[in-house]
Amino acid sequence: MKKKTYLGKLSVLITLLVIVLLPLGAQGAKATQNKISYFSGRVETVEWDTQQVANFEKLNPTIKVEYEFQKDASNVIKVKLASGQAPDITTVVTQDFIDSGLFMDLSDQPFWNRILPSVKDLCTDLKTGKQYKVATNITMGGLFYNKQIFTELGLKDAQNWKEFVTNLEAVKKAYPNKTPLFLGGKDSWTLGHLIEFWAHGVAKQQLGIPGSRQAFLDNAVRWDEPNGIMENFAKALLELRDKHLINADAITATYDNQKEAFASGEAVMINQGMWVVGDIIKLNPNMETNIGFGPFPSVVAGLKPMVLSSEDSVYVVSATTKDADAVLTFLNYLFQPEVQKSFSETRGIPSAFVDVDANWSPIKDDATRLVNSYVNINFSTEAPSGLSVDDTGRLIQKLLHGDYASPLQFAQEYQKIWDSAYATSN
Amino acid sequence: MAVPALVLFSLFFLYPLSRGVWTSFTAWDGFSTPKFIGLANYKAFFQDSRALRDIQNTVLFALGSAPLLNIAGLLLALLLNRTFKARATVRSLLYLPAVISPMIMGSIWYLLLQPRRGLLAILLQQIGYEATSNWMLSGSSAMLVIVLVNVWQYAGMTMIIYLAGLQAIPIEHFEAAELEGASRGNIFRFIVLPQLTPALKINVITNIIGSLAVFDAILALTDGGPGYDTESLSIYIMRMSYGNKTGYSTAVALILFFIILIPVLFSLKFFNAKEKT
Repeated sequence: MKKKTYLGKLSVLITLLVIVLLPLGAQGAKATQNKISYFSGRVETVEWDTQQVANFEKLNPTIKVEYEFQKDASNVIKVKLASGQAPDITTVVTQDFIDSGLFMDLSDQPFWNRILPSVKDLCTDLKTGKQYKVATNITMGGLFYNKQIFTELGLKDAQNWKEFVTNLEAVKKAYPNKTPLFLGGKDSWTLGHLIEFWAHGVAKQQLGIPGSRQAFLDNAVRWDEPNGIMENFAKALLELRDKHLINADAITATYDNQKEAFASGEAVMINQGMWVVGDIIKLNPNMETNIGFGPFPSVVAGLKPMVLSSEDSVYVVSATTKDADAVLTFLNYLFQPEVQKSFSETRGIPSAFVDVDANWSPIKDDATRLVNSYVNINFSTEAPSGLSVDDTGRLIQKLLHGDYASPLQFAQEYQKIWDSAYATSN
Repeated sequence: MAVPALVLFSLFFLYPLSRGVWTSFTAWDGFSTPKFIGLANYKAFFQDSRALRDIQNTVLFALGSAPLLNIAGLLLALLLNRTFKARATVRSLLYLPAVISPMIMGSIWYLLLQPRRGLLAILLQQIGYEATSNWMLSGSSAMLVIVLVNVWQYAGMTMIIYLAGLQAIPIEHFEAAELEGASRGNIFRFIVLPQLTPALKINVITNIIGSLAVFDAILALTDGGPGYDTESLSIYIMRMSYGNKTGYSTAVALILFFIILIPVLFSLKFFNAKEKT
């Protein structure tokens, strides 16, 4: 009996020792490994990122990359920053974060020699002239159209607003049951992008990219001027609504509805970014050769059509990273031409690296034509960060719902929310 | 003996609460250093027409939802408080929606009610009726839909609490009343209702709290739109916080706390008085 008790005590002691010592042993084994954290908000590249992290770790056994994806990354990052857990590398960037000195200066990194100068310009912080972020790709936005119907009706890229409306009317006349331009306004960011592309685009064309970036930063653009950009934009949208050239449920249809309508042929045009192409082809593989890509016309007379061509897939490094060498080793691995080729093809967007030749999308030729033929505009990264496309989209919901007494009132409301967001950010 | 409890209470309740109160007096974007601004956030709230509209939406929702939930729950409980075949199955089916996430429930109803492409519209089309009404297009009809979906989801939960209350009433009370020749209305008024007061208290208070803090159902059904016509105060708090106004959103959260607290205290006082009599 005594022997049994002794053995029992011994086995408990051994078990406890194993429990205590095993993790210590494991830690000891990993003592030479550098850990870096990589936080991403890109849902479409979760698999790709996981694979690349594994490939990198195989090549660099001394560096462990802790990869984390969060769908709501733009908010999760704030919690991380507030709690002093800034990730070493992240894809989530706002001007406020840059202004707060949260990121490392990447200006001297050799990879800039391989990046398109226009993309480097867009990555340059206007306040300091330094590059705190690096973008590896370009995204584009414009009007996607049903090629077959456009060819059949003899329609071409609209050069101005009048031609655009004529195109939509021609579609309506030939196909009364189809929607000429489909809006998915319940997901209000899709409407917010109308302001981003069609209205902000005008300011960018008028002032030029560097000029408009500075003007946004200084709150120097007046959106509420009578007969100004916003009033004309509102008039243009109301014209489309009143002529029934957009879907009757433009306010309550979703982004998914928009994609489905275009993929099924129910809608002939949609205003979107390149990110939509992959989903449309998934919904209807026959659309692969039937997606046309065109510019959007200016809502202010006398200006040229535009296409959004902006920096995309951004990385930043925390200013407080403990292992800058390991972080830069990982970034340089990601930026290798063959890795970037696969990234570009996974995301379906062109690379910003001059030495990357990727077959990224069926609309590649159209995209090249647009970049070379029309005014290129960027994303409004210098707009106040508190002004979300969700908020601006809601103004359009109200506009289409008839809540404003006049297009000018819409413009005044826009100025109000812009100013409020500007006051919060400054 | 009370020290560990006090420590835990301080750590997980008092400290976060006091931090929250302090944050509400600051201009803070969530990541940089907070700046003390006194009552400015509270003043800003009462000057923001969107915020005041959201209070109106939240109260409207609660006024529609809380009474309807109680009426529906009580009616269902009275109907199901008798013996019949498949009683357990019917009760379970009625309770089932309550265990589904309101976000999912809202999305399902959204897919059902969409004009032209919703399931309901497609079914109506099959029988030759073109359903083009868009319930989500105007704030008032959208709010009605949200209230009804919420009632549909949680009536089963309210019913279960009433059922428990009903089953706690001794059968002898009913037998005695019937022997005395009391009508059904009088039995309900003088026997059932007074003895249901504890269940009524739980249901009314939880429904007031739940309704005034409504979030998921609105987000899934209308996303607060069109514009901000159906936005609730909880959604407003989330959006302000994500819009770099963390200090301000904390102040609004405290305001919401008092908006909920006032009717809850009144109800408690009312029911406690009722229970005493």
